[in-house]
Amino acid sequence: MLGKLTWNAIPWDQPIPLISAAVVGLALIGVLAWVVIKGHLPYLWREWITSVDHKRIGVMYITLALLMLFRGFIDAVMMRSQQAVAFQAAGYLPPEHYNQIFSAHGTIMIFFAAMPLVIGLMNFVVPLQLGIRDVAFPTLNSVSFWLTATGAALVNISLVVGEFARTGWLAYPPLSELQYSPGVGVDYYLWALQISGIGTLITGVNFVTTILKTRARGMSYLRMPMFCWTSLASNLLIVAAFPVLTATLAMLLLDRYVGFHFFTNEAGGNMMMFVNLIWVWGHPEVYILVLPAFGVFSEVISTFSGKPLFGYRSMVAATLFICLVSFLVWLHHFFTMGAGANVNTAFGIATTVIAVGTGVKIYNWLFTMYGGRIRFATPMLWSVAFIVTFVIGGMTGVLLAVPPADFQLHNSLFLVAHFHNVIIGAVLFAAFAGLTYWFPKAFGFRLHEGWGKAAFWLSVAGFYVVFMPLYLAGLMGMTRRLQHYVVPEWRPLMLIAAAGIVIMCAALACQIIQIVVSIRRREELRDETGDPWDGRSLEWATPSPPPVFNFAVLPNVQDQDAYWGIKQRAAESQGTASEPPEYRPIELPRNSATGFVTAFFATVTGFALIWHIWWLAILGLVAAYAVFVKFAWRDAEHYEIPAEEVERIDRPYREKLEGALGIQNSLRSLL
Amino acid sequence: MSTAATHFRQTDPYKLGHGHGGGYSHRYATGHGEGGPASKRVVVGYGFWIFLLSDIIMFSAFFAAYAVLSREFAGGPTGRELFDLRGTALQTAVLLASSFTCGMATLAVEQRNQKWTQIALLITGLLGATFLLLEVREFTELVERGAGPTRSAFLSSFFALVGCHGIHVTVGLLWLGTMMAQFLAKGFRENIRHRYLCFSLFWHTLDIIWVALFSLVYLVGSLQ
Amino acid sequence: MSTDLSNNTEGLDLAPGDEPTGHRLRSDIGTYLLGLVLAAALTAASFWAAHTPLIYGPSVPIAISVLAVAQMGIHLVFFLHITTAPDNTNNVLALGFGLLIVCIVVLGSLWIMTHLGENVHSVPDVMRMQR
Repeated sequence: MLGKLTWNAIPWDQPIPLISAAVVGLALIGVLAWVVIKGHLPYLWREWITSVDHKRIGVMYITLALLMLFRGFIDAVMMRSQQAVAFQAAGYLPPEHYNQIFSAHGTIMIFFAAMPLVIGLMNFVVPLQLGIRDVAFPTLNSVSFWLTATGAALVNISLVVGEFARTGWLAYPPLSELQYSPGVGVDYYLWALQISGIGTLITGVNFVTTILKTRARGMSYLRMPMFCWTSLASNLLIVAAFPVLTATLAMLLLDRYVGFHFFTNEAGGNMMMFVNLIWVWGHPEVYILVLPAFGVFSEVISTFSGKPLFGYRSMVAATLFICLVSFLVWLHHFFTMGAGANVNTAFGIATTVIAVGTGVKIYNWLFTMYGGRIRFATPMLWSVAFIVTFVIGGMTGVLLAVPPADFQLHNSLFLVAHFHNVIIGAVLFAAFAGLTYWFPKAFGFRLHEGWGKAAFWLSVAGFYVVFMPLYLAGLMGMTRRLQHYVVPEWRPLMLIAAAGIVIMCAALACQIIQIVVSIRRREELRDETGDPWDGRSLEWATPSPPPVFNFAVLPNVQDQDAYWGIKQRAAESQGTASEPPEYRPIELPRNSATGFVTAFFATVTGFALIWHIWWLAILGLVAAYAVFVKFAWRDAEHYEIPAEEVERIDRPYREKLEGALGIQNSLRSLL
Repeated sequence: MSTAATHFRQTDPYKLGHGHGGGYSHRYATGHGEGGPASKRVVVGYGFWIFLLSDIIMFSAFFAAYAVLSREFAGGPTGRELFDLRGTALQTAVLLASSFTCGMATLAVEQRNQKWTQIALLITGLLGATFLLLEVREFTELVERGAGPTRSAFLSSFFALVGCHGIHVTVGLLWLGTMMAQFLAKGFRENIRHRYLCFSLFWHTLDIIWVALFSLVYLVGSLQ
Repeated sequence: MSTDLSNNTEGLDLAPGDEPTGHRLRSDIGTYLLGLVLAAALTAASFWAAHTPLIYGPSVPIAISVLAVAQMGIHLVFFLHITTAPDNTNNVLALGFGLLIVCIVVLGSLWIMTHLGENVHSVPDVMRMQR
């Protein structure tokens, strides 16, 4: 009846997961109870859970990402502290638990922290920057989010019910085959990624279509903000790479569930084919994450330097170049597998060539700052730290791209330090820069600068203290994923890294305090004009937070920096652009529970498949089909906001804005 | 078109577009996207087109696995011993015919002709079901002969690749049934026609994938 | 179809699958019929090529591949109406990108795995050698 699921699936004998699960469970129940008792449930359901508004979905993505970032960070703290104490000793984490922790850390950080962070930013920002009212397929957007949440939920359920994979974050066979991993850990991993992968794929389709087909009038390709360009490239990569992940994981599932022989030792299976295919997805994935990060930095650096982006066209070219070449380098993840000198050389060269595209970007950012009037607000600090950190990470990457060097460094802590250097230095820094930069747009008030700067300095310091010793340890021969070790020379480096993680914890505390302080002082941090940073692109041409329809009248784009141009012309005409616009009714997509309900059944189906509860899996699939048909059967997809309502919402903002522009003009005439 | 542009200028809050000419000089150049958001039909069709491309890429991964493992017989039967090309030819003919009748349904939808839409879709569905039946029969015969997917890596990759196509046809049939019911219940409403555009793209694409399958898997496989 | 397109101020953008010209039923049926005949002919040619002594044995797979590519082209043009006309630019570009990735995935995997197969012995091989 319940498949493999028994009472013993809960790890009664392991205090750490049990206690943490109890804490998380109690916290969840507490929050739920608070929501229900306070009567917030209808509000949550109406305004958030069923919302198809890209801004709301973006905020939910980022909330999920920050929660998962916290979870993954706790894993990181456990690993660092284990390695600090496990010198010639067992440490406090038994091997099978330690293996689950590093597997979960990688899986969670890439799929449920980094991906939702960049997708969340894209969701919130891209339609606003394109000057439109929503993405191409708003309901599918909600489905995407909830399927991602399903994946995250399954990974976290594995903490209490059963176990997680002990195979590393990519679950290489034959270790991940049934013979060597008979438990449900790998199944949790596989189904969580399959389900959230579908969500990501839908996101990719959605945003490619949105960016290519639904831009505001006048916004030609070469007038798109750089973040939209990098989002386009990133989503093209999603569309091209995630199907390969789906297929590869499906093959492993077939091996595990019905005895196929794709990657087994027996019957002609080839485990190296898995490594090959997973990296066909895996390398583009790196650029899926990092390209939007580049976009964020382009926006931030240009805004806070008060200059248009230097070399806009070369930046576009470099983005597309990276987008394409990222599909030609995957073998560099397994130089040591034995493809031979000619194959290794070809992929080594392709890998070093990618650095050229990235180098172009670095110089463009530097020249954007050169001669600019730079304001070192928190987003700009993150950007400058990114340039320095990313150059270091990039150069160690070029080292690893040389096959003979890679034979020495493969699977060492040098590699671990390298990819943390680029992912933290680019993706995470970009996420924090982007969050600080667009937070006032989303919520109507800025984040507190003082706490933001404290978090920034502690994060950067913590990062360097943690990861620079790991480079050294790697050069000294320390391999990754060691539960304990006996080489005395590594010990000091592990202790320094552990000290670094303490600094990181302080940075995390500052981040949390920053949010709390900002919410409490929101009145003094309020953004009245919708343009707190003197921005350049269209998201600043609407109130903060934007109304549900984003723009009362869709903008007409004339420049590369659309809003900057508008402000310039308003200044020239001394703010006489006050003739009220002609408001028209606006059609918007209705809210839909489709995403949430689909994800509910996806969770049920996924859980049932993991535990071999076949009847429940079939039931879940049938229910998902029923939801789909019901959604397809609906008659009214849209609702209309009458013109008077649009005017009522828009007019006060416009008056305020004209006042602000007028002040700005008089200032300019004084200067 | 010019009226739309003029109207837009009147509603422009910032009085832009007067005399500068920079606003949308390439308005007529397709793909530059200066004319504002595309029509719903183009957006829906294009989105689904992108999805189909991603689906084809998924097939390419299964193809790659098959290509790499196609000689790993593990002492078991080879393609030459297993493949019955008459059955494959019949499947090919049936699926090609269904692609054609799907095209006829497209024309009937354009004509808003309920009767012929339903007839053409019904024939398409029956042909698709026939294809599926033939495939199921082939698979069961193989398994009965001891040439199931667990026999060798070659057979694993063969069953996965062809079976993946079969699952797509199954989903297509479910969709087709839903589509017919929707045309009956809702008529030729705009969003239903958009959905039908997606379905026809899906169905034709399945046939294209089958071309690759029967050529590279069955025909080439029967040589070795 | 035409009513939908009139909503689009651009007017010159086509959804994939839509025919670029105005539609007359008879000529449209003719297009599909022509596609059907061509596809059937190419299919027949493929099956013939697989078992004819007229083609040099080792080149048969190449012949079949060429015929398959030709037939996919026929399907794209006659059934999916993907042409190189300017209003189809975006659709064709997307298709080109997809096909490029397909080629990279399949050919790249084959290249890598062939060389791996030459250089690395599989586990059963190694065990046989140790015996």
